[in-house]
Amino acid sequence: MGNPLHKRLFRELRDEAGKYAVIFLLMILSIGFISGFLVADNSMITAYNNSFEDYNIEDGHFETQKEMNRAQRKAVSALGIRIYDLYFMDEPLHNDSTMRLFAIREEVNRACLMKGDLPVKPGEIAIDRMYADNNKLSIGDTLESDSYHWTITGFVALSDYSTLFADNSDSMFDSIKFGVALVTPEEFADYGRDTMRYVYAWKYQTPPSGEREENDMADELMKALGKEIKLKDFVPRYRNQAIMFTGDDMGGDRVMMMILLYIIIVIMAFVMAITISNTIAREAGVIGTLRASGYTRGELIRHYMAMPLLVTVISAMIGNILGYTIFKEVSAALYYGSYSLPTYVTLWNADAFLLTTVVPLILMAAVNFLILQRRLRLPPLQFLRRELTRKKNRKAFRLNRHIRFFTRFRLRVLFQNRSNYLLLLVGILFSNFLLMFGLLFPAVLEHYQMHIADNLLCNYQYVLTIPLDALDEEHKLRSLVAMMEFVDGVETDNTDAEKFSIFTLKTTDERYMLENLMLYGVETDSRYVHLERGVSVSSAYADKNNLSVGDTVHLKEPYGEKMYDFHIDHIYPYDGALAIFMERTALNDVMGEDRDYFCGYFSDTEITDIDEKYIGSVITLEDLTKISRQLDVSMGSMMYLVDGFAVIIFMILIYLLSKIIIEKNAQAISMTKILGYSGREISHLYIMPTTLAVIFFLIITMPTVERGMRWIFRYYMVSSISGWIPYYLDPAIFGEMFMLGLGTYAIVAILENRRLQKVPMDLALKNVE
Amino acid sequence: MFIEIHGIKKAFGQGDSRVEVLKGIDLSLRKGEFCVLLGPSGSGKSTLLNIIGGIDSADSGDICISGEHRSTMKEKQLTRYRRKHLGYIFQMYNLIPNLTVRENIEVGAYLSDKPLNVDELLKTLGLYPHRDKLPNQLSGGQQQRCSIGRAIVKNPDILLCDEPTGALDYNTSKEILKLIETVNQKYGNTVIMVTHNGEIRHMADRVVRLRDGMIRDNSLNTNKLPAEALEW
Repeated sequence: MGNPLHKRLFRELRDEAGKYAVIFLLMILSIGFISGFLVADNSMITAYNNSFEDYNIEDGHFETQKEMNRAQRKAVSALGIRIYDLYFMDEPLHNDSTMRLFAIREEVNRACLMKGDLPVKPGEIAIDRMYADNNKLSIGDTLESDSYHWTITGFVALSDYSTLFADNSDSMFDSIKFGVALVTPEEFADYGRDTMRYVYAWKYQTPPSGEREENDMADELMKALGKEIKLKDFVPRYRNQAIMFTGDDMGGDRVMMMILLYIIIVIMAFVMAITISNTIAREAGVIGTLRASGYTRGELIRHYMAMPLLVTVISAMIGNILGYTIFKEVSAALYYGSYSLPTYVTLWNADAFLLTTVVPLILMAAVNFLILQRRLRLPPLQFLRRELTRKKNRKAFRLNRHIRFFTRFRLRVLFQNRSNYLLLLVGILFSNFLLMFGLLFPAVLEHYQMHIADNLLCNYQYVLTIPLDALDEEHKLRSLVAMMEFVDGVETDNTDAEKFSIFTLKTTDERYMLENLMLYGVETDSRYVHLERGVSVSSAYADKNNLSVGDTVHLKEPYGEKMYDFHIDHIYPYDGALAIFMERTALNDVMGEDRDYFCGYFSDTEITDIDEKYIGSVITLEDLTKISRQLDVSMGSMMYLVDGFAVIIFMILIYLLSKIIIEKNAQAISMTKILGYSGREISHLYIMPTTLAVIFFLIITMPTVERGMRWIFRYYMVSSISGWIPYYLDPAIFGEMFMLGLGTYAIVAILENRRLQKVPMDLALKNVE
Repeated sequence: MFIEIHGIKKAFGQGDSRVEVLKGIDLSLRKGEFCVLLGPSGSGKSTLLNIIGGIDSADSGDICISGEHRSTMKEKQLTRYRRKHLGYIFQMYNLIPNLTVRENIEVGAYLSDKPLNVDELLKTLGLYPHRDKLPNQLSGGQQQRCSIGRAIVKNPDILLCDEPTGALDYNTSKEILKLIETVNQKYGNTVIMVTHNGEIRHMADRVVRLRDGMIRDNSLNTNKLPAEALEW
């Protein structure tokens, strides 16, 4: 014979449909979303990992200033690698973005055609799917530049551009203003040589067996290549952000998602445990009778645990079904919003099932078991006498009689329900945390964009490119002429222009992300950088790497072994880049250049009189805000989700907890009605304490939430992205959080007030069952 | 003897507030005997019943039921003992509100290897027409009959009744007493009933009077009356 007590379970679900509906809603949403995320994450990571083989992704690439000749190719191929031409051209388009054009790849870094067709004739183009999404382009649309005109025939994902980094040293990828595309080899062959970039991908003939070996092989290859050709850029695959960033980032979100789920499950487990505790208090006589009749404590624990476990199992089942169907698409869309990934196949994920079913079940069982075990430890007689505490003769705490009666009453309600209010505090803390997470990031990014605009070094930074001929030591005369032409070509009459020298070194402190650092050599009395003597580091660099005046930073050549030490004399207030500022002559000395060497101009107005062929790049506000723009695009939709989720959790928790408090006091409420208290007075007695508690908790949790947020923000910025966005808290966020919290509570309070009015008067007069 | 109680003592509190509730109780009962424990409030009758039922413990003394000594039992053994031998009826019915009458009785049947036939019992209890109702759809007397059903369905050796008619009116009380009498006669359980109501002694085989924690009188009733004949 099955335990007849179990027949209560479905009846309780039916009788308490409102309560269980919200519990199910929250758990199904949480489990479903996380399950969907894990399924999509796993399927997409698998697709991403497989793409290395499926699309034959390079082991690395290098760039030369000039196209390699046959002898150089032969010499390079003798270094144990096979090389493939990956030439490209960056073409500015009329829509203010830049398109990197490649010929269709057949051998290495092949493309995944996601929609439409590859180009088959000149004038046709297949563009990156994410760039198309972000720029709202469809197949059949046209793209134009000054020199070309294409019709879009298809959308592709290039296996070596799963993240759209235009340059490996960029702080952040840019899928809005930068795209990659394929044209026919015939069309590509017609492109001019002036703007062509000579990039060669390589694959090792004997692939490295591990990370360390890959590292060593790349270092050796770089040295060997350096002897054969003049390298402009050298990027082994493991250092290529455009290839590796996706894989690194995808795994990172997983832990955060799991923590989110488990916090929700634990909170729900406590909600269930408190509900059960109240049921136990209400059914004390029944429990006493059952125990007296011979039911064991274990049987009763199992009986009361059945409901939370049933709820968890049902939620996990429905959640997983939704995860594999609807939520998987949501998560995949989030990934497709950030990364240019190939098409994926949904894979059965045993881990996801385990993490979203078994682990929540264990958490739910553990929390409820601990609480039930404690609650049901009492002997049967105490249950029969309704003495549900081990402490005998518990005294009511003293309250000053000068305190108004209503206030004393409310204090007693608060004290009596302290465990529920404690859970409410935890719930509000958690919800506030999610709310702040959702509100803070967009505000930080917006502030950063404004702040950078107000704190630019200048409106235009021109970085000049010295022609290769000028550095050709084998042909002195040609070199001299080229240098003279260069010096003449970069002379300007613009009175705003101010010379600077710029160098790139790499950070070496392994506690932080290793990244490139700009070293600016500026004029002694610069109108753009107000330097004091010595070495100044930008506030962004100091903030990110926890640097102070007096510290020494150790930097190294990006593609060499030479080390440089800089003793910090000042922190310069500049958040646009990780940078070091020094006087130009001093920096040139350190870097081994002539004292009057320069390679760029600061200027507040556009410089129009220097030869364009010597302008390597122009750094404008748009370049500096790329990081925040991209984060805004790739995280924006996630933030709205988190905000919505926080509000739902907040509402559900407050609804459940205030419902529990009212249910617990139903008899007393009924009695106060019999005594003649009006509905208004009763809600003052029973709703007001919760209102005051919610307001109090909303306020006191904010500093803790802010501290936590500051820590998470820093952790995320230090570990996940190159560059730096300083933490900024808009005080208005506190107001928004408070109003959102209070508004949410107001809705719940109205519902609760209605419930309160419905408590029947005869409840107090009935048998206590 | 089926139940043998020797030197049971029980006190509550400590120091000045220590109260001796039972001061050495000796009592023997035969199997199938209907025993009524009478006495004023605070005389110790409910405490004695709870100690016999294994839901309270004595400070000293021993109870032996069918050869099993209670004083040596640990908590798990005590639970098994209650499960195997005892049925409990309280003044409060303590029915499970979201189980039907039938299911409430099945809650008791679940504990036994040889439960009575539930349908037959429902008919005996006069609850068969109400078997699918929830407790809140029943009168007080019907609820108490249901709780009796839950206690006896497992066919216990001993039926412990703590003021089973305390919350009921005269007619309903008589109905319940008749039912307990029927159960006692039909199934042969030993019944120990705690009551304030002195008239109930007439339906008992043995009447035990307690006062101040001691047995003042322990006598066999030679003029046993049927419950139907009781008047108060």
